[in-house]
Amino acid sequence: MSALAPLGVLAELPLAVSFEAFTAGNFWAGVAVLAGIYALVALGLQLNVGFTGIINFGQAGFMAIGGYTMAILVLEAGLSFWLALPAAMLITMAFGLLVGLPSLRLRADYFAIVTIAMAEVVRLVAQNARGLTGGNEGLFCNTEGVNQVCYDDTWLDIEDSILGFLENFSSDPEILLPLLFVVWATVLLATVGLSFIQRTPWGRVLRAVREDEDAARALGKNTLLYKLQSLAISALLGALAGFFLALFLATIHPVDYEPLVTFFAYGVLVLGGLANYWGVAIGSLILWTLLEATRFIELPISDERQAALRFAIVGLVLILLMAFRPQGIFGKREEMVLGD
Amino acid sequence: MATEALLDIDEVVKRFGGIHAVDGATLEVRDGEIAALIGPNGAGKTTLFNVITGFYRGDRGSVTFQGEQIFQRPPHQIARRGMVRTFQITKALAAMPVIDNMMLAAPDQPGERLSGVIFRPGASRRREAEVREQALELLDLFNLAKLAEDYAGTLSGGQRKLLELARALMARPKLLLLDEPMAGINPTLGRRLLDHMQRLRREKGVTFLFIEHDMEVVMNHSDRVVVMAEGRVIAAGEPHEVRSDQKVIDAYLGGGGASGAGSNGAGGASS
Repeated sequence: MSALAPLGVLAELPLAVSFEAFTAGNFWAGVAVLAGIYALVALGLQLNVGFTGIINFGQAGFMAIGGYTMAILVLEAGLSFWLALPAAMLITMAFGLLVGLPSLRLRADYFAIVTIAMAEVVRLVAQNARGLTGGNEGLFCNTEGVNQVCYDDTWLDIEDSILGFLENFSSDPEILLPLLFVVWATVLLATVGLSFIQRTPWGRVLRAVREDEDAARALGKNTLLYKLQSLAISALLGALAGFFLALFLATIHPVDYEPLVTFFAYGVLVLGGLANYWGVAIGSLILWTLLEATRFIELPISDERQAALRFAIVGLVLILLMAFRPQGIFGKREEMVLGD
Repeated sequence: MATEALLDIDEVVKRFGGIHAVDGATLEVRDGEIAALIGPNGAGKTTLFNVITGFYRGDRGSVTFQGEQIFQRPPHQIARRGMVRTFQITKALAAMPVIDNMMLAAPDQPGERLSGVIFRPGASRRREAEVREQALELLDLFNLAKLAEDYAGTLSGGQRKLLELARALMARPKLLLLDEPMAGINPTLGRRLLDHMQRLRREKGVTFLFIEHDMEVVMNHSDRVVVMAEGRVIAAGEPHEVRSDQKVIDAYLGGGGASGAGSNGAGGASS
């Protein structure tokens, strides 16, 4: 894979690399969880951008709606975790439909503006509706009652039982393994499910909408309906990613839902390649490995400069990818060229 | 030939700001005929197509198709009722294989709904098999069968025109509206396209209304000619009647049109 080549070049440079941290299990388990979460976010983008031709820049907003709704339903409404999850999924999907109904009639670029504005509105509301969301202090536990209730209580129980099971095989199982397993199982399920529906006549209509919406309408397809469904499924995937991020970070905070999240997911999409669901998981793993591995390069420069350099390296990899493989790792070049 | 109107367009108006692109156009298309819609550039022919197929929302008027009012209905509903259009600039779904272009157009596929995908997978598969067979048959008829698995974007301009016509036929139309079907294709392919139209009318009872600039084609291949100028229908009748109509001659000469309606075959495709 050509995307990894620059790392090899770096290894030959006279740099000191701290291999101790580089090989730390819990660190890389965390990276893998994050990669899984971003894979879910980017799967939604793949459905929207890669297969429907609608430019959605609001995935971070759907993640926030999913995460916050789940936590608020558990903490404030006293719902069980198992009820809060599907309820938050439905609410996020309904929110997606609400946003899409007026805005999906717009041209693709205007729709993109609406979605990014939507995501920012969600984040700013979360930041300011302190009574409900905890504002900048974030959301974690409700300590007002006799017993402290946290939104991830149920998850911690599940985690404990999985870890207990894992102790059969290893005396000290990695604490992040249960989340890692659940996240990637979800990624796999979502990838298989999306690949399946993409091959049905339903998926064919989506592609037609991507290629030429007017042609699809002229052949009797209600294109708005398909775009709405695409957006709602994408919102659902965003909600799932929001749940996992909330469980991973053990707190829900507005800064975790900045537009940057969506842009990183686009990075994943571009790396993996458009119009291929399997490329998303690979793209996410590569992006996060690159981002995190570059932490360990030690250079005789200040920390801030080094932090900036990390992103410069990732940027360079993306530029090289665009130069030598513009369709991404799994994308089809013909489709990209013919698409315009 | 039946004289009953299949499509009845009455006093349709479409304005863009202060411009009356279609200014009270009235015409009818009879069941089973091949009707040509001609007129100088800017006469409002394509705009009229867009209004009656729902792509533009008309301001006033009435459009009745098979006895049903369809004015201001959305395009997909109109297409499903059997009035299917093609576009002046072909809209091949470029990054999709030719066969997918064809199969997409077939109606009544339960698998096009998510509920159908989940609850009626068998019905969806059966319909797919049926539709694929129809699609291959039609592609064969249009000499495109060899290209079935190729991306539609790799087809030549003429092949795209044929594909668009074949694809429109997959939608089981009663009336086909073709916007400049001969424009930009070579004469041999154009002749084949005209043969197809005649054959489809004969064998499948498809009615045609087509916009065309090539007067030779219009005069020799249509049963009736409708002439538009400045957003209105100024004449309609058999080709020889229209050709000698003074209003038509004036419209073409006075309107700054590129071709004379009276001079047979003189009208090239003007942009």
